[in-house]
Amino acid sequence: MTATRRPISGGLAGRLAVLAVVLLAVMWMTPLLWIFAASFKPNDVLMVRTDGLLSPPFTLRNYQNLIGTSQLLRWLANSAIVSLGQTALVLALSSLAGYGFARTSFPGKRWVFGFVLAGLAVPEQATFIPLHRLFAGLALHNSYTALILPRLAAPFGVYLMTQYFKAIPRELEEAALLDNASRLKIFLRIVLPMSLPAQATLGIFSFLTAWNDYLWPLVSATRPDMYTLTVGLGSIQTVFAQSEGIGYLMAQAVFAGLPIFIVYLFFQKHIVAAVSGTTVG
Amino acid sequence: MSKLPCALGIVALGAVALAACGDKKTEIAFARFFGACEAEYGKITDVKQARGECGIITSITNQFNATSKDGVVVKTQIVEWGPYYDQLSARIVSGDIPAVAVMHESALGDFVARNLVEPLDDGLKSIGITAEEFTDQARRGTVIGGKVYALPFDTWSWLWHINLNMMKKAELVNADGSPILPTTPEELIAHAEKFKAATGKPYLSWPTVNEFAAPYRHFVTLVAQQGATLFPPGGKTVDVRSEAARRALELIARLYGEGHVKTGADYGAANQAFLNGEAGIVVVGTWTIDDFLNQSKQAGSALANGYTVVPFPPIFGKKAVFADGHSWVLLKGGIRDDKARKAALGLLRALWDNDFEWSRTGHLPARKSVIDSAAYKELPFRVNIAEIASTAYSVPSDVSHQRAVEVAIGEEVNAMCLTKKPLADVQTAIEQRVGKLLTGAN
Repeated sequence: MTATRRPISGGLAGRLAVLAVVLLAVMWMTPLLWIFAASFKPNDVLMVRTDGLLSPPFTLRNYQNLIGTSQLLRWLANSAIVSLGQTALVLALSSLAGYGFARTSFPGKRWVFGFVLAGLAVPEQATFIPLHRLFAGLALHNSYTALILPRLAAPFGVYLMTQYFKAIPRELEEAALLDNASRLKIFLRIVLPMSLPAQATLGIFSFLTAWNDYLWPLVSATRPDMYTLTVGLGSIQTVFAQSEGIGYLMAQAVFAGLPIFIVYLFFQKHIVAAVSGTTVG
Repeated sequence: MSKLPCALGIVALGAVALAACGDKKTEIAFARFFGACEAEYGKITDVKQARGECGIITSITNQFNATSKDGVVVKTQIVEWGPYYDQLSARIVSGDIPAVAVMHESALGDFVARNLVEPLDDGLKSIGITAEEFTDQARRGTVIGGKVYALPFDTWSWLWHINLNMMKKAELVNADGSPILPTTPEELIAHAEKFKAATGKPYLSWPTVNEFAAPYRHFVTLVAQQGATLFPPGGKTVDVRSEAARRALELIARLYGEGHVKTGADYGAANQAFLNGEAGIVVVGTWTIDDFLNQSKQAGSALANGYTVVPFPPIFGKKAVFADGHSWVLLKGGIRDDKARKAALGLLRALWDNDFEWSRTGHLPARKSVIDSAAYKELPFRVNIAEIASTAYSVPSDVSHQRAVEVAIGEEVNAMCLTKKPLADVQTAIEQRVGKLLTGAN
């Protein structure tokens, strides 16, 4: 499966389409550019006006104050560890579960699969208190384990991988079985490499979800050295930042978004393919 | 003896000495909001050099750590203001309890009712502080059932920040340059009309978008100014059917409906409107005094040399204004031993000793001796607002879930202004929503 790019047809209609897309892109980007520009403006200026962003004065003070936060790199590292760890484990577990549901048969499979899918309908907030008490009982709060484990139950991931594995022709596996390959070997050597597009989709969504997560880290990682970036940046905001610290707030937003932006630069082909439901050849 | 073993011996001795020193240190966890400003104030120990909530509290902590003689180290744990209490509750459940924590006086009642906060009478006595030194308002906020449960730090309240330049244009200033303030609802409307006719701008600005605190605080204030209350004794009911409540709601609705309030503004935009001369008065708290004053010192500003601030005027006769306060509590289970208790109390003493410095944020001091001091009165506009320490009205501590109550009432008052929700429906909705919160019904 490969994505094919069709050039936009010429003529007036084509040009109008391009113009419309460009206008939409500019509209979409305006708030982001506003955030970026505001991050270089003094807070007392922004308290009065937030419309003259392209005219002086400018300042680097917001970034200096942000980088002067001693735990900032620690929070960045925590977010990276949690996001990467969570993504890797979600991929592993969802792939294994998905393969099980797609290719093996066991008593009650349909019920179990239905039970997994029912997880999609349970709002995160509904599980918060029991989850928090469970981890408190196990004395696991303020640890990477507590930040990563609760998110590994990923019904969407299991569903996605199950459906993807179902679409892979059985004949490939049957040929390997004739060659005496074990089920695990078939999974690792044949099925898994073929599912890379789906893995990329799931991986990107898992990573972004983990990176942006706020509520669970807020109540689980309560020691500042265990804060993730979202919680850490929240903690350093002044009480009325939306009025008296807008520039600082925007510098934090830029900083928090920067790693994701870099990831996007490197993996944009895969991300676009994942979001559009196509694959990259 | 060769040099190497000698050097190793010295290093080993040094390590033992350091370890011994390390053992003596007592760390106490200090949970608060107010933000972080390490880059600017991380090394400042002279509190006088600091400004703003974050700067002052950070330098007080630095000063305490730098001067502590008992090897006490305060480890500050900063949490975002919005979800502070959610995290604090989560910490208590998981046993990761800070020794000292900041707490709004409006939240204290809930924590005391859940038996989570230590009474402080004896502890404060041991560091030479008694409740008699608290201002009236601070005492109301921290003494529950005859026991002191928190060390008050300030009182913050609801003020009218006034653009005198615009008021002059509307001929709403006295000969001495002070603003002419309304003393009745009719006068308020008349002033607002006169102001609008002269300037073409609304008389008032307050946030009506993404904000529920402001309308709630106006409502509570206007009811209290009639000698009434929304919360009858017992804390289990809300009374919005009283004449006082009805009159207060009608006045708010009329002000908004007749275009005397800046529309479509959130918290930041409401302040911006005031600073840009798009409204004559912004109704907001004590904490903005410093910022507004700085703006008034800038030539070309709409506020240039024309800013003053007063308590919310007694529109219905009685001087009363909504107030709350920041206080410090010792949470049960947060202190491991006597050394930690002594350290925590030492920190409370340091905070108390810096009550004047904290009052530079705009908040009123919680300490009588500070509010009565010449130094405090010399701070800008503090003479105008000092009366709040005795005239303030705070929602009684037996009213539970006050933050949720604030949201419920604020939403309904906003709905009345923005969507013209009928007054009777607003009253019914408040009764239902707040009633559930106060009785614990689902």
